[in-house]
Amino acid sequence: MKILIADDDMLSRRLLEKTLDRAGYEVVAVENGKQAYEKLSQPDAPRLALLDWVMPEMDGPSVCRALRKRIEQTYLYLVLLTSKGSKVDTVLGLEAGADDYLVKPFNAEELRARLRVGERVLLLEDRLVEARENMRFRATHDALTSLLNRGAIMDLLGRELHRSLREKKSAAILLGDVDHFKRVNDTLGHIVGDEVLVEIANRLQSAVRTYDFVGRFGGEEFLVVLNNCDPAYGPGRGEEIRRLVSCRPILTAKGPVAVTMSFGLLQSAEWGSKPLEHLLHAVDLALYQAKGEGRDCLRIAVPDQKNEIEHAEKPDVVRQQR
Amino acid sequence: MQNKVEHQTQQVWNLAELLARVDNDIELLHDLLGIFKEDFPRLKQSLLAAVACGDLRTVGHTSHALKGMFANLGAERAAAAAAKLEELASSGERRTLQDALDCLDREATSLLPQLDAYMAEVKH
Repeated sequence: MKILIADDDMLSRRLLEKTLDRAGYEVVAVENGKQAYEKLSQPDAPRLALLDWVMPEMDGPSVCRALRKRIEQTYLYLVLLTSKGSKVDTVLGLEAGADDYLVKPFNAEELRARLRVGERVLLLEDRLVEARENMRFRATHDALTSLLNRGAIMDLLGRELHRSLREKKSAAILLGDVDHFKRVNDTLGHIVGDEVLVEIANRLQSAVRTYDFVGRFGGEEFLVVLNNCDPAYGPGRGEEIRRLVSCRPILTAKGPVAVTMSFGLLQSAEWGSKPLEHLLHAVDLALYQAKGEGRDCLRIAVPDQKNEIEHAEKPDVVRQQR
Repeated sequence: MQNKVEHQTQQVWNLAELLARVDNDIELLHDLLGIFKEDFPRLKQSLLAAVACGDLRTVGHTSHALKGMFANLGAERAAAAAAKLEELASSGERRTLQDALDCLDREATSLLPQLDAYMAEVKH
């Protein structure tokens, strides 16, 4: 584990360096508080630090205070090491943001034991962060495909909608549905159906750029948000994605399964200031149109067309027959 | 009275404590003594000049640095003398600064030959 020591006294620094090196730490040594603050602010900074109290440029408590003011991703365990031994100083050091306090001249055994406490605290923090990240992932991703789930993709779509309006940039929504998916489940079983969905998710994900979003919208429905997508290229990009999904059969436990998808596409030029629900309804109508015109194709949504308003309820009915 | 008792129980140089601090690493101990021998004259010079002109800030800072060095080396009495100087500087007490400096000088004078003898001994 990396550890930073900050001490302006060369003798003390050498003693600490050797003691900690012998204890298996990777030591980074600096001569003053300013250097310590800079080193500890770097992305690959040591997470354990031993700071002398009296130092040029910035003293130990000032380094602690400055570091605690930052909104940081990882916790730093800070130990003040000094010859100041009064209760008032102890309180002052801890109030400044130090986690522990050790009086010079230090006892090597005590120093190592206190640093092990620091390591335990950092390990605990790592576990908590990992657990939080796992929970966050599970809350925003689909358990089967690991794509964004409906809530997360809707959230991103809402934000993208506002951004494209604000920055006057083009984007596109692509809503796709696996053709005759029910047949796959009925004839080959749900496990194969799941394999098909996972592979489709992989193909969709690899078909888009890193700044586009792909989410599982429903059972066999997927929503793709294409950011910064020039209107002239939107339909072409949509077609490309559709072809990439169906270009070769999906290899499953029960042999290869040929699948196709139908897509509806809505470009941001058509969005205006309509609410998200209206736009989704429009792209759903285009998808419904693609289904009605033989599947395995893409249709472009035109939100204000009168006939689509008349058939506004149809996609939900047809969704049952897809 | 209590200071006197403390002084009597403190050693000029507590080698056993220093050896424990360096985990009996003689090479490291030799290094530390070398650093001290190099830094001490500079710090002493700075302290003498600061006391002479009543620069309490420098007296405080330098005696603090010396206190840390002496304490790390197990030079208990010299560390205590440096701590006294630091305390006087911090409380603005100029009157007894020279006495405290003389005391520190005496302790350092009795410490240095011991360090030199030990360094010569471990060299062979």
